[in-house]
Amino acid sequence: MAILFLLRSIVPCATIEVLSMKRDNAKSDPDRPKDATHPGAVDQGGLNRRRFLEAAGFSISLAAIGGCRRAPRQIALPFPIQPPGVIPGQMRYYASTCEGCSASCGLLVGTRDGRPLKMEGMPEHPLSGGGLCAVGQAVPMELYDSQRLMAPLRDGKTASWFDIDQEIIAALRSVREQKKSVRFVSSTITSPTLQATIDSFLGQFADAKHITLDAVSSSAILDAHEQTHGSRLLPHYRLERAEVLVSFGADFLGTWISPVEYTAAWRDRRIPTVEHPAMSYHVQFEGRMSLTGSNADRRIQIRPEEQRLLLEHLASNIAILAGDRLDWPLQPDPPLLNGNLGTLLDEVAERLWKAKNRSLVLSDSQDVDEQILVNYINHLLGSYGATIDLERPSRQRQGNDREVAQLLEDLKTGNVGALLVARTDLTHNLPDRASLLDAIGHVPLIVSFAEREDDFASLARFVCPDHRPLESWSDAEPIDGLVSLAQPTLNPQGKTRSILESLALWSSRRDSAYDIVRAHWRGAILPRCPEAGDFQQFWDETLQKGFVHLTPRATRVRAFDKSVLKPPRPAEAPDGFSLVLYTNVAMPESRHAHNPWLQELPDPVTKVTWGNYVSLSPHVAAELGLKEGDVLEVNAEDAEARIELPLVIQPGQHDRVLAIALAYGCKGTERFAGIGPEWLEARPTVQPGERVGKNAARFLHFQNGSLRYSRDNVTLRKTAKRRQLAATQEHHAIEVPPDVAPHGAARREIIQETTLAAFTKNPEAGAAEVHYDPEAQLWPEDHPKKDHHWGMVIDLNACTGCSACMIACQSENNVPVVGADEVRRHREMHWLRIDRYYEGEDAREGVAHQPMLCQHCDNAPCETVCPVLATVHSSEGLNEQIYNRCVGTRYCANNCPYKVRRFNWFEYAHDDLLQNLALNPDVTVRSRGVMEKCSMCVQRIEEARIAARSAGVPLADGDVQTACQQSCPARAIVFGDMNDLKSEIHAAQQNPRRYRVLEELNVRPSVSYLRVVKNQDEQNEKNKEA
Amino acid sequence: MSSTTATDCQVPMEDASALLRPTLVTGNRSLGDVTRDICAPMERKATKLWWAAFLVASSALLLGLTAVTYQITVGIGTWGLNRTVGWAFDITNFVFWVGIGHAGTLISAVLFLFRQKWRTSVNRSAEAMTLFAVICASIFPLIHMGRPWLAFWTFPYPNTRGPLWVNFKSPLLWDVFAISTYFLISAVFWYVGLLPDLATIRDRGRAGLRTRLARIFSLGWDGSARTWHRHETVYLLLAGLATPLVFSVHTIVSMDFATSVIPGWHTTVFPPYFVAGAIFSGLAMVLTLMIIARKVMQLEHYITIFHIEMMCKLMLSMGCIVGLAYGTEFFIAAYSGNPYEQFAFMNRAFGPYSWAYLTMVTCNVLVPQLLWFRWVRRNIVTVFAISILINIGMWFERFVIIVTSLHRDFLPSSWAHYIPTSIEIATLIGSFGLFFTCFLLFCRFIPVIAMAEVKGVLKVKRRKSSVAVSQEEVA
Repeated sequence: MAILFLLRSIVPCATIEVLSMKRDNAKSDPDRPKDATHPGAVDQGGLNRRRFLEAAGFSISLAAIGGCRRAPRQIALPFPIQPPGVIPGQMRYYASTCEGCSASCGLLVGTRDGRPLKMEGMPEHPLSGGGLCAVGQAVPMELYDSQRLMAPLRDGKTASWFDIDQEIIAALRSVREQKKSVRFVSSTITSPTLQATIDSFLGQFADAKHITLDAVSSSAILDAHEQTHGSRLLPHYRLERAEVLVSFGADFLGTWISPVEYTAAWRDRRIPTVEHPAMSYHVQFEGRMSLTGSNADRRIQIRPEEQRLLLEHLASNIAILAGDRLDWPLQPDPPLLNGNLGTLLDEVAERLWKAKNRSLVLSDSQDVDEQILVNYINHLLGSYGATIDLERPSRQRQGNDREVAQLLEDLKTGNVGALLVARTDLTHNLPDRASLLDAIGHVPLIVSFAEREDDFASLARFVCPDHRPLESWSDAEPIDGLVSLAQPTLNPQGKTRSILESLALWSSRRDSAYDIVRAHWRGAILPRCPEAGDFQQFWDETLQKGFVHLTPRATRVRAFDKSVLKPPRPAEAPDGFSLVLYTNVAMPESRHAHNPWLQELPDPVTKVTWGNYVSLSPHVAAELGLKEGDVLEVNAEDAEARIELPLVIQPGQHDRVLAIALAYGCKGTERFAGIGPEWLEARPTVQPGERVGKNAARFLHFQNGSLRYSRDNVTLRKTAKRRQLAATQEHHAIEVPPDVAPHGAARREIIQETTLAAFTKNPEAGAAEVHYDPEAQLWPEDHPKKDHHWGMVIDLNACTGCSACMIACQSENNVPVVGADEVRRHREMHWLRIDRYYEGEDAREGVAHQPMLCQHCDNAPCETVCPVLATVHSSEGLNEQIYNRCVGTRYCANNCPYKVRRFNWFEYAHDDLLQNLALNPDVTVRSRGVMEKCSMCVQRIEEARIAARSAGVPLADGDVQTACQQSCPARAIVFGDMNDLKSEIHAAQQNPRRYRVLEELNVRPSVSYLRVVKNQDEQNEKNKEA
Repeated sequence: MSSTTATDCQVPMEDASALLRPTLVTGNRSLGDVTRDICAPMERKATKLWWAAFLVASSALLLGLTAVTYQITVGIGTWGLNRTVGWAFDITNFVFWVGIGHAGTLISAVLFLFRQKWRTSVNRSAEAMTLFAVICASIFPLIHMGRPWLAFWTFPYPNTRGPLWVNFKSPLLWDVFAISTYFLISAVFWYVGLLPDLATIRDRGRAGLRTRLARIFSLGWDGSARTWHRHETVYLLLAGLATPLVFSVHTIVSMDFATSVIPGWHTTVFPPYFVAGAIFSGLAMVLTLMIIARKVMQLEHYITIFHIEMMCKLMLSMGCIVGLAYGTEFFIAAYSGNPYEQFAFMNRAFGPYSWAYLTMVTCNVLVPQLLWFRWVRRNIVTVFAISILINIGMWFERFVIIVTSLHRDFLPSSWAHYIPTSIEIATLIGSFGLFFTCFLLFCRFIPVIAMAEVKGVLKVKRRKSSVAVSQEEVA
């Protein structure tokens, strides 16, 4: 069956058009050795008795072996016509655009035999720069999902496109005749073609509106700019230019707007060297512990309600420094600001001011007034034109909450004749679902373009499923003037239809998506590219490269208008708890809820998988006598909303803040109940009738025209229930528990840290005290790595913990998903994990993220203990695991000091033929009872080696990139041959910040780490020591 | 026979003459009585008590079999292990059962070489216990594998895979050799010792399967001086071979842990510590079994209070060595200056599994101290209770070593808890079921006391020579 799929998908719909962009190391093999003997050739000597007996013996034993088990039926057919350049079994990379979210990062789609398998970042892309987040890399799981819609639905039943089109066209005609209004709701559309198509579709109606509803809205930023700069736009933040970066709640490294781009940019200023011991200064004000906050130099816990006050204070301070006169006086220390915060803000203001034109203030606030204050601060700091680009604004978030609120009103009036919803789950993402359902009931024509029957789609009369991203033509313009193409890499697997085609058809144009995109490019994109001549050439070049720079559209931005600034409001002390709603790094939108890789990807901070939870600070939890896993009832009485979720104790969270992740509790996630192995004591991943997590959108509310993600006056009640969390980490502190800590050795030197001040004085500051010579060995080296010696260096100062590498590894190495119960039993299979440690009480001294994978030790403790030699050392320094030799004693895992070995406790492979198309054919799917672990992508090493050998050149540095390294947005991972003195890894190993984890055991790991440097003064270091 | 040492002259109180050697068999049994008494349980119908015991034991065995079948069918995930704790009940049970076996070899071989005549009453059943314990033990390394059907890969045999050899550096491989050697020698030793008794059964001349089997397995024993001579030579040689095994087997088992890098395992004191522990637990198990057997099978004349007291003394000495080893570990951890090692032991005593540690110390170190008191040693009830507690304590010792060392090792991010599943508990119960089923069958079909050897130490025969020795000493 798999082969049938394969054959169907083998010729993409426009193969002839598709120009490949191949990685250098995946060169084709034109020079096949000419003297290769034919495998079936029999030499001229003919058959003698000995040879006959050999052959007979062989065939008899073959027959006997074959007879033991029924061989799986396989049909392998050659191509009827060999597509140009396609070599069976070889990965080809096509430039495309990621459609995992609206950030629109550059993508290289690795396809093999017509199957897209591996999503990689496009190194040349100006925004993402080779990185790709976890969500982008998890796309194959959604592509090969047997439970997505494969055909259109009418009233929940499969129908033919012809019938549906007839009915929709008729319904639209009556809407037009009755002069009713049409509403098209979508999440941010970065695709200019789709935008134009929607516009032209809506153009047919008298009252038609396109409303953008983002999963997490940034509407207030756009609204604020409309007021301050006269144009409703989202600026393009240039974090790489910011020397001082102050963020009020914006989780730009995790989920905010364009995290891959921001991570890459942020990283650029985070690497101090001996020559330039400088790095940016990053302050984060936030209520919950976000991924960004965990990486900040200074993190200040605030309640969301205090944010406005802080911004006013900061604005006043900077206004004084800038000599700008305000109509309102500087706030005296208000009661809400405790003493420390006041001086702290003075400090922050000073640092921002010192770095004038090189500083940036960000906020994810949905209060337009707060965003205006942010704009004012940035204006005073000269950030506009420097760290904030308004000339080429971003189009990555266009949500307009005011219009969404208006839509809800419109729906209630009953004047809406047609409601079309694309790429968002309207009823899932908005509060007050009951009244929304009522309002929708008045609409005669409801169409959803959802790819699966989500909450809204199940209400819609027509569901016209759009293609999956990798199945259709599209484009994107994430930043004004930067346009990229998205090309299909396999034939649509079901009877789905591109939304472009559907809309064109309903606007009485019968065009293919390809034609629509090309037509738009010919008409609207080409004229914006002055240097381009011929369209076909322009198209081919762009398609191969993936993106093109255009003249930005003229934006009418006026100078900062101070008059919109409002005088400070008297601050009211908030009641009860403040609830912060956010999205997880692994689950930024509800449409990814069906992705098992993402569901099982631990949140980078809490390390919890499979579902959402309420997080609460340790103090309050202790005060209220709550334990992790207690099910709490969170109540917002003014919204009549309540939710029951298990508790996670989150160090570093503000004492009066509760945090719950959105985008959970999605319809259809009941399917994951049986994803784990089934046995006597197994508990289902999802309880019968429940979904993965719960939808917290009911706590959202509209206020002053924007959707608010925080609210106060929330109460908490403990229920009698408990639910054990599926977390991959049990102990969270870098210190061992005090009751069992040996004297003076509570903190282990696993994470080494220093401050910028100390680093400037001594680049080796922060190193562990060593009483031995790490190079001295008792015995002479008996297995010198003469040829290559593979190794890895991970810069902990660059690593943000975003977990993109974990999914990269999972996708590359066929790592199975095991379900919540197995995770609870600590049997997650990730070869690469990210250890997260809190430092100091309540994580006051910071949070550390440490990617941990097989360290490929030269004195590997796992190798000596295996009784059957199933794990051995290669001549190139790799620690190799031989699955088919492994008998599963697990001694190797016990003896591994890093605990990176993973055991197949059950048969985890599923018989899901469609899903299994996402498996990498280069990597064995492991069976039950064998050990597995990171192989340093040995298949990639071999691929590069073969390519180099066919090209007749030696392997060069950079030819081999491991999957984790390739897509790391922060470029924190360097892999290479340590024997090559000119290699990047050799240079990285000379870095004074380099250390090896558990070096004192003399296992001699091949993976080393670069010490964390925080931009702090030495005082902190001393405090730590004291 | 003349080389008896003064320490042997422990004189039971009830004996009139303090100078006389202890009475090993009481009740003034004649040679014929011995044969009759010992063969009686085999020749009469099984008692209700036996049937009850057999029913319980075989039910436990069946439960274990079901659990193991389920585990092999579904996967090792049916155990409570995880990525951090890769061994728990499985290897705990393995080490526990191997340890149990050690007392058998000690009694039969080492005490034989030291001419400890009191061993004759208990050596047969102690050896049988060894065999059954080793069978129980060897099951665990087999079923703990992820793919037990490939267990034969752990044997270095010429093969078509290259040939691909085993890893001679791996302590697990040493285990394979150690355990298989141990089983082989123990079985042969036991069987050779059984030969004269099998001949006795044969010669009792009753019709039936037993006699026919005895005829085959007694290997034509004719009771001639030559046969006896050869038998004793072989027995002595085998005793000599078995003696080093008492030390080597558990030394090698301990190396599973000692050669690793895990703090709490990586300890050079392990070999002697494990050997002492093994003998300790084995003696406790022998006592448990003997006390039951002598009661149930009315063998009080053969297994006397004197025997029990001797065993108690041995057990006390072993318990002290084990206690010393526990202390040494802590001292070395403190002295080493190695924070991981220090943490491992702090965590062992005060961490989440401190209850297991407390059980272990109480049962293995504190409780045996009662054996300093003579009345405790001579009271069947207290000795029985103590032997059971030591068995529990020694099981927990292995559990503590394995689980507490693994569950919190170097990187705190990987720390995890281990909780056994029902399948593991059923497997443990099943191993006891197997052991007791085997033992009950043994009691029923094979002379539980070495008749030929007991006859050699009967009072009637020994009194004269002992008196002679005593007189020589006096002179």
